[in-house]
Formats: sequence, C-alpha cells, structure tokens
Amino acid sequence: MRTPRSDSLPEAGAKLREFIRDSMTASALPTSTPCLDPELVSFFDSFALDLFRLQFEANPVYRSFCEARRSVPSQIGHWSQIPFLPVVAFKESICTALPESDRLREFRSSGTTTQARSRHFHSGLSLESYECSLLPWFNRHLMPDLAPWRGRLFGGPLEPPDFLFLTPPPARCPNSSLAHMFEVVRREHAPASNPFHGTFTRDGAWSLNTAAIESVLRQAVDFARPLCVLGTAFSFVELSDHLVQSGKTVVLPSGSRALETGGYKGRSRSLSKTALHSLINHALGIRLDHIVSEYGMSELSSQAYDHPIPTTAMEDSNSPEIVKPPPRTFHFPPWTRIRIVSPENEREMPPGEVGVLQVLDMANIFSVCALQTEDLAASLGHGFELHGRASSSEPRGCSLNQT
Amino acid sequence: MNLPNYFFADLPAEASLSPMMILDACHALRRNRDRFLSERSTAQMVRLVARLAENWLEPDFPFRKHLLAESPNGTGFSRETMASGLDALFKSITIESLTGLIRQELGDDAAMDEFRGGETPGKRAIALGPGLMVHVTAGNIPTPGIVSLVHGLLLKSAQFVKCSSEHPLALRLFAHSLYDADPKLGACLELAAWKGGGHPCESPLFGEADVVTATGNDETVESIRRVVPSRTRFVSHGHKVSFAYLTKDALSGYKTRRWTEGAAADVAAWDQQGCLSPHVFYVQGGGETSAEQFAEMLAGQLTKLEQLQPRAPLTIQESAAIATRRSFYEVRASHSGDTKHWRSHESTAWTVVYENDPQFQFSCLNRFVYVKPVADLHDLLKHAELVRDKVSAVGIAALDDEARPLTRELARWGVSRVCRVGAMQSPPLTWRRDGRPVFADLLWWCDWESAS
Repeated sequence: MRTPRSDSLPEAGAKLREFIRDSMTASALPTSTPCLDPELVSFFDSFALDLFRLQFEANPVYRSFCEARRSVPSQIGHWSQIPFLPVVAFKESICTALPESDRLREFRSSGTTTQARSRHFHSGLSLESYECSLLPWFNRHLMPDLAPWRGRLFGGPLEPPDFLFLTPPPARCPNSSLAHMFEVVRREHAPASNPFHGTFTRDGAWSLNTAAIESVLRQAVDFARPLCVLGTAFSFVELSDHLVQSGKTVVLPSGSRALETGGYKGRSRSLSKTALHSLINHALGIRLDHIVSEYGMSELSSQAYDHPIPTTAMEDSNSPEIVKPPPRTFHFPPWTRIRIVSPENEREMPPGEVGVLQVLDMANIFSVCALQTEDLAASLGHGFELHGRASSSEPRGCSLNQT
Repeated sequence: MNLPNYFFADLPAEASLSPMMILDACHALRRNRDRFLSERSTAQMVRLVARLAENWLEPDFPFRKHLLAESPNGTGFSRETMASGLDALFKSITIESLTGLIRQELGDDAAMDEFRGGETPGKRAIALGPGLMVHVTAGNIPTPGIVSLVHGLLLKSAQFVKCSSEHPLALRLFAHSLYDADPKLGACLELAAWKGGGHPCESPLFGEADVVTATGNDETVESIRRVVPSRTRFVSHGHKVSFAYLTKDALSGYKTRRWTEGAAADVAAWDQQGCLSPHVFYVQGGGETSAEQFAEMLAGQLTKLEQLQPRAPLTIQESAAIATRRSFYEVRASHSGDTKHWRSHESTAWTVVYENDPQFQFSCLNRFVYVKPVADLHDLLKHAELVRDKVSAVGIAALDDEARPLTRELARWGVSRVCRVGAMQSPPLTWRRDGRPVFADLLWWCDWESAS
C-alpha cells in the first residue's frame, strides 16, 4: 500500500483516505487498540513528515512559528519532532493553508463574548477529510452493532437506531463543528429525518425545544425504537433536569445510546462525568455502558471516544481477541498520535503522569496537523484520561483576531 | 525538630475541631491575656518582639533552621526564597521600627500604658487594644500573618490565627518561637488551620472576637465579612496587584544594571505571590535603554537569580498555566515584532514578555512578568485604569528630583504605597497597607477630661 510522496495538500487528502480505509480494515474489531501493523506504522511516519512539509510551505502562521523554533522540515526525522502549534494560534491568527477563495466554512470554538474564539477554516476538500475521519471512528464507538464485520460474522447489519440531536440545526449554527459533526452522522444514518431539537435563548446561547424532545422520547418508547441521543454535557443536564423536575423521565428501549461531549462553560450546573452519566441514566433510562463521552475540538478533524458501546455478541463472546478497553479512557483513531508532555520542558511524561495533551491529527490536512491543546491529560494504556484544563491560558484583553 | 502540640494547628490533619473547642479556646485566651499580657508595658513588648526578630535572623536559630529545612515542601518556596523573605521581614522589625510604628499610629509610645496628655489642656487619654483579635490569613505568603501577630503583640491582645490549610508552617513556627521565648505570651495565642469557607468553627470564632482581620482573595474576604457580627470590627485586605515605572533618566549608564537587579529581585521575592509583587514593568521611552533592552537585561538577571534563589516546584496546573501563557506569546511573537519573549531553558522558572501594547496585563505569577513601553507616567496611568482601585504598590526607578512629582501624581491617582524598584516586597513595618492606618483603628480610646 506504500504510495509515493504527496506533492500537494489535495494529494495528501487522498492519501489520508487511503490510510483511513487500510487502518480500519487492519483493526476490524471494535476495540480502540491502535494499529500496530508495521507497514501502516511506517506509512504513517512518512505521511506525517510529508504533511508537515506541505503545511510548513502552505500555512504562513505555522511556518513563522516553526521558523521561530528553528524547526524546519529538513531537521525533522520523526513525527514526534514536528512542532506542535498551540491551539491559541487559531484565535490569534488566520491559521490555514487554504487560499481565501477556498474558505467555504469556518468552525469556531465555543466561548463567552469576552473571549476570542478559534477559527478553523474548511474547503470542500478539507470537509471531505473531516467527514472521512469522523464516520469510521464514530461508527466503531457508537454503532458497532452496524459494522460490516458484524454483518460478515453474524449475518447482516442491524437496523440503525433513530436519532435525537440536542444542538440547533446546523444551518442555524454554521460555525459549530459539533452541529456539523452531527449533520454528517445524520446524513449517514438518518438521511430522511430532521432530528435536531436544540434551539437558542434570547441571548444566543444554546437551549432545548423540550416539547419536541418529549414527543421524540415518547415515540421511541411507544414504538420500542432504540434512540441515539447526542449532545453537549450541558444540554444533557438541561434535558435531564427538565425531565426529572416535570416527572417525565423515560426508560428508552434497549439498544438506546448517548454521546455527550464538552464542558459546561457556565451554561448549566457542572457535574462530574460519573454524576452526568448517572443523571442521563436516571432521566432517559440509557444503560451506563451505552453512554459514550467524546473529546473533540473545533481545531481538530478527528475525535476521541472513551469506549465503544458493547454489543450483545461481544458481551457473550469468550473470544480472547475481544478485549474490552479499560473503562472511560479516550482513544483517538489510528490516523492520529498523541503526546502528553511536561509543561515545564515539553518532554514526554511517563505513563500515568499528568501533562499537556498534544495531538497529531492527520485529518487536519489544510490547517495544521500537530496541535498542542490546553487540556491536561495522562496516558493510560493506549489511550488517555483528561485532567481538566490549564487555567489562565489566555491573557486577559488579548482577544484579537489578527490577520 | 519535633514541635510540641501547643496549638490546634499542631494536631494531626485528621483531628477535627468542634465549635465548643473553639469557644473554650477563646475564653482561655482572654483569661490568659488578662493575667499575663494586659499589664505589660509597651516597651517590654517592643523589646521582646525585637529580640525575637533578631533571633529569626540568626542562621542557627532552631525555628528558622527547621523552617528552611522543610522548604519547599512545607512552605511552597525554595529554601533560598524563604530565607531571603525571612531576612527582609525580620530586618524590618527592630526596637526603632516598632517604636516608630507606635508613634506613627498613636503619636506617643506610651499611649497604651497610661493616661497621657495631648494638645487639649486638661484632657488625657489611654489607648486599649482589643481583648481578642482573630486573624484570617491567606496561604500565598507567610509575612502578612507574622506581621499581624506582631501588631497584636504590640496591642497586648490575645490572638487567634486561622491559618490557611495550605502551608501554615511558617506561622506555626513563628508562634512556637514566641511560646519558647515567653510561654505566658504563648498562652495568649492560638493557631488553627482549616479549609476556609463555611467551616462550622468560623461563626463561633468570629462571634467571640473584638476585631477580625482577614487577608485573601475578594471572594474569601467577602464570605468572612458576611459571618462577622456587625458589632465586631472587621479589617480586610482583598486582592491587589502592583507594577513599576522606570524613567528614561534612571535607566542610563551604570545605574541601569542596579535597577535591573532590583526589578529581578522584586519578581523573584516570594515567587511573585504577594500583592506587592510586580506584574508589569513600564519603561519610559526615548532614553538610553529601551523597554525591549530592559526586558532582555531583566531576563539575564532572572537567569542569574534562578541559580541563587530558585523558584519553587509548581503543581501541574500552575506549570501548565505558565506553559499555555507562554504558548500564546510564542505564537504572537512568531508573527509580530511588537512582542518578544525570554524564558528559562527547560523549565517554567521565569518568563519575561515584552509587549509594545502598554495596556496593563495580569501576570500568571510564579516569576512571569511583562515589560511595556510608555511615553510617561501619565500615559502609563491611562493604560492601568483597569486596575486603578486594585493597586497595592508602585515601584519607581527615577532620579531623586523626579521621584517627588511622580509620587504626587501616583498618590492623586490612588496609589497608597510608592517605593523604589528593588524594595517592592520588603515594606517597612510602618507600611499603611491599602492606605489605612496600621492599627490605629483597631484600638479603643478612653478620654479622661480631668479638671484643668
């Protein structure tokens, strides 16, 4: 499968799609174990260096950053040496390799009105890379019972569940990468439906159309149709609080599942993950092991999930190859790598020790693939667990969007 | 050194205090004060405190040795930073400074000992210290707590110190040294440490006090204010910041180096944790040394100082706060000549950020400082409007004849302490914190209008 070196970012996009296909085939089981196939590892390594070189040439902000660090492509021999650009660069500058005429979409980070927001630009091709990265890893964690391998092994895919998205429709929040992510999932799994039931408050914050949601929940129960509910942590708190307070909690049919993501940002009461999952379980009757946490950000094109929902077949299986990952450990897909580094000196931290999370996301073809987040994490097995956010990350009053 | 269990704060962390224990302690403190403290003369107290301060400056003083040996784990500061902070504090406590403080506050060194005559014929007066003072101290640096204890000793008050649950060791050792020097005085003192905010012992403690002093962030101080009874005097010091101004004439020739050393010492003192620590150095433009050059020299001094007086190890959150703030400036500096940054190698030990934008900027502390150019003091104050009512001190580096008009302008703007750069974290004992009397408003006066 080794392909010649990419000479342009669109070529790199094609190479990414090839790599995603091959790595998903190579690790066909719904576990998050990274692909260890030596050929794929070597492909990844050379692809990462190629992409770094192309982004260095095409993205002026990234190039200046690398030059200031005196880390230019000729000096980089391994992906771990690629300079990881702090995500604040997406707030500070127009950080993209796309010419202005190609910038069709712009994903912005959430934030308060006084904070600058990250701006991640996408073209048609970069959205293709985003979607190509999103779906296989989403399916593996949220829809393992629909996967082709199941069809092969157990006699055909099951019918997909119905969907309920707790964000406003993407057309009404075009800068939300989360709403776009849900839209891609909808197009894939529920093309005929309109399952977005988020709305806006007067001040523009996200809220819920609770009447519509109650009706969706009732139908799911009445028709015994499993439901897949996706939303932010704060939207789940808002929904669950509403259902509990109005005495309208439900027990969704077996096979129902949830995906929650993100923090609270003061939009609802803040709960620990465990408390949030208990609340969802209490209000919607979704099994705890069917509630998946997602870690993503508008500056990335790939997502991490904390576990795949178990399938009955897997639970019943005694096959030694099917090993459940440790509970609640985030995993990015095989076309990414993570480093957890000391904030003191950027050296990699030993396993289990908390440091700053860096992500190399090969699906970020047209911006920057090597990013340093503002999140603290510790590696655990092949994945990582989150340990909050670095405080004081942005100086006050520096919320500029310079070109 | 094994410290005996004289105080609640000496008990193991798992020992819990009850409101009844607090009430009993307060009653005992008041009784002991009446027996052992109230009849002592001010001169006696001054001598005792000055002697104790002298002891604390001795390298072999067991309490000092123990405190330094326990740094940084027990105190949150490197041994050298703690030693330097202790030296600055205890050098400021002498018979002269203590007597000077009493004169500054009361006009007469014996005002608390006997009825003294004043300007009004036939009128005499005596000042009486509070029976029981309660101090709620912050955990960032130990000096304000020790100074509060010294004030209480001069006022001949029983004192209960609620230490921060983090790093109470310095205060504990000072209290033990006092107990050791004079056990009867030690019996008029209690220390306890608990995590503040809604602890069941707080309300009974504040209810027993004549005076409550509190230092901490604005939320902590406000939460204490709500619990202190209205009849009790309450003195609080919330969150404050400091900055410095260096004139173009001061930063010329050989003096530049001296001011740079002073600036680095101000940043390194208490790892920039105190309200007197500078966040920004403003450099007047148009002189021999530009702000950018000063920033580079300051970085050089901080490198040297790190060898002599290393910054304490940080928690991962503190360290990450610096790392992400540095990232911000690294990104900005890579595409804008208006920003430059200097940083310690392979650590977050110190960071200097030069920004052409003179807007005041809060540092993330732990030796992270900004250098910014301004046209003059007027320009500076325009850009520091954001913190106008939050400024504790302004350090200045200026020629002698410049200092007076600059200080007058700063005073009019609302600054309550102006000192030279290099002395920001070593205020004199007579420092009127936040511009308020040191303890004059904690006393009760008895006026005696005798026949003329």
